[in-house]
Amino acid sequence: MIARIFTGPSALTALVACCLALAAPAQAGSQTAAQAEAPVPAQEGGGPPVARISAALTQDVVEIRSNFSGAELTLFGAAAGLEDGDDIVMIVRGPQRDMRVMRKRRVLGIWINAAPVRFEAVPSFYAVASTRPLDEFATFSALRRNSMGMEHLRLSAPETERTETRFGVTDMRVSDLGADIIDYRAAVVRNKERQDLYAEAPGGVEIIDNGLFSARLFLPPVTPTGVYDAEVYLFRDGAPIARWTDTLEVVKAGAERAIYDLAHQHPLVYGVLAVIMAVLAGWIAAAFGRRQ
Amino acid sequence: MQIYLPIAEISLNLYLLLSLGLGVGFLSGMFGVGGGFLMTPILIFLGVPPAVAVSTQANQIVASSVSGALAHWRRRSLDVKMGLVLIAGGVFGSVSGVQLFSILQAMGQIDLVISLCYVGFLGVIGGLMFVESAGAIRRRYSKTPRPKKKRRKRGVIDALPFKTRFPVSGLYMSVIPPLAIGFLVGALAALMGVGGGFVMVPAMIYVLRMPTNVVIGTSLFQILFVTALTTVLQAAQNQTVDVMLAGLLIVGGVIGAQIGARVGAKVRAEELRAALALMVLLVCGKLAWDLGATPQDLFVLMDTREAS
Repeated sequence: MIARIFTGPSALTALVACCLALAAPAQAGSQTAAQAEAPVPAQEGGGPPVARISAALTQDVVEIRSNFSGAELTLFGAAAGLEDGDDIVMIVRGPQRDMRVMRKRRVLGIWINAAPVRFEAVPSFYAVASTRPLDEFATFSALRRNSMGMEHLRLSAPETERTETRFGVTDMRVSDLGADIIDYRAAVVRNKERQDLYAEAPGGVEIIDNGLFSARLFLPPVTPTGVYDAEVYLFRDGAPIARWTDTLEVVKAGAERAIYDLAHQHPLVYGVLAVIMAVLAGWIAAAFGRRQ
Repeated sequence: MQIYLPIAEISLNLYLLLSLGLGVGFLSGMFGVGGGFLMTPILIFLGVPPAVAVSTQANQIVASSVSGALAHWRRRSLDVKMGLVLIAGGVFGSVSGVQLFSILQAMGQIDLVISLCYVGFLGVIGGLMFVESAGAIRRRYSKTPRPKKKRRKRGVIDALPFKTRFPVSGLYMSVIPPLAIGFLVGALAALMGVGGGFVMVPAMIYVLRMPTNVVIGTSLFQILFVTALTTVLQAAQNQTVDVMLAGLLIVGGVIGAQIGARVGAKVRAEELRAALALMVLLVCGKLAWDLGATPQDLFVLMDTREAS
């Protein structure tokens, strides 16, 4: 029962699919373990569910230690009731932060930061992976409602917005910046993408077989700490019919954590200790140098 | 091997940081300069947030000035009274500098101000140093005698009130000029992450007219206390001191300084000083270029720090 469809219609993918299908028993064995660990999936809507999703990340907690230079996680999942033509989307969102975006302007030959715009509750991390490009299988409204994909990411700058009635439509949100707000929004996405903090991977979710799927998640070295939300959606006919959620925690650990916590909880003690360390180091070096 | 820096929140190569400390420490040992004015811009080039680079550098200068200050203390080649007056000025300068730093950070202009300060100071210092060392090299080959300096009157400074005696330096003068110099140096330590020796030493010689044998010791004495205070203040107010980064730079730095001091005693100083001047001008040029060159992205993202 090779119940699967690849949208990339190449001979190579078909070949890979066959190979994977042959290896299915072994794969399925390892997947059931992951599925067993997965929490009870959230179901949408009333009535008997048409389909459901379970998934698990290879790690629940990512520790940032002194040798941290990014991390790669894999999400394994199973979609019960997966049919041909269904699509799967994985979204991972980092803790929300307020951000300020400034546009550089040339004054007397040098570039200075000007025209700040404050964005509220910007996801510090945002990765979306899917079986196909999002707009090929999902409706605009489904994407917008779930803020799925870079164009539908909710990025609001409330200080520049007001609501008014336009063309007879009430409560329209209007930006004081006019069309400029689009540049600012694009700048947030672009800057985050450059640091690998925002990523969109159409084709990043791979359906292995039998409703089993996997996706990779890459966390860059600048990954912020905090609680991340991981979501998996099953799309059919343009709308999500099943959803699964879990959290992932990124924490500083070991010496990194001790230093960070001390610096933020007892900053004065931290500062004094930093000075003592420096004085001792300088003194030891001087004593050592004099003896030679 | 990459190492994650807990406050800077980036990973950098461990050996790169150690050799950077070693290299700048070597230069500072050889020339008797603090090295902060080279290290801070290099850290910024490497991607360390400027706020963290500046504060962490203040911490490193504490270590590099301890050994020098101790040596001068043992030889009694420092003017403690003058040092204390300079420190008093430095305390006010450091406190104001840290405040100004916080304000500029909140305005999103701290990077610009740090860069501008560096371009200005590095340009002037590097330029003067280059002219001076080039002149010395030329004189050595043409065997012309060193031009004699005329001792000018310090009109304004002698007229200032609150005069006191500085017996070690053999001076009787107002406390206002040393206080002002200390203030400037303290503010520079907080804003630029430098010890400020490159401003203080010339000021002590030409403005205060202190005897040269106590100038270095006294300036190190002041730098030690002011950078220690700046470290504590930056840590307490802005949480921008990264001890992991500082520790690595210090380890490289203190070893490099010992080697540099030994090598410096044997080699010809003028050529090296000219080389150092060129290096300073190079760093200055790079910073100036970055200020004027069209940025890769016209928009910048910043974390808004909650006011504490």
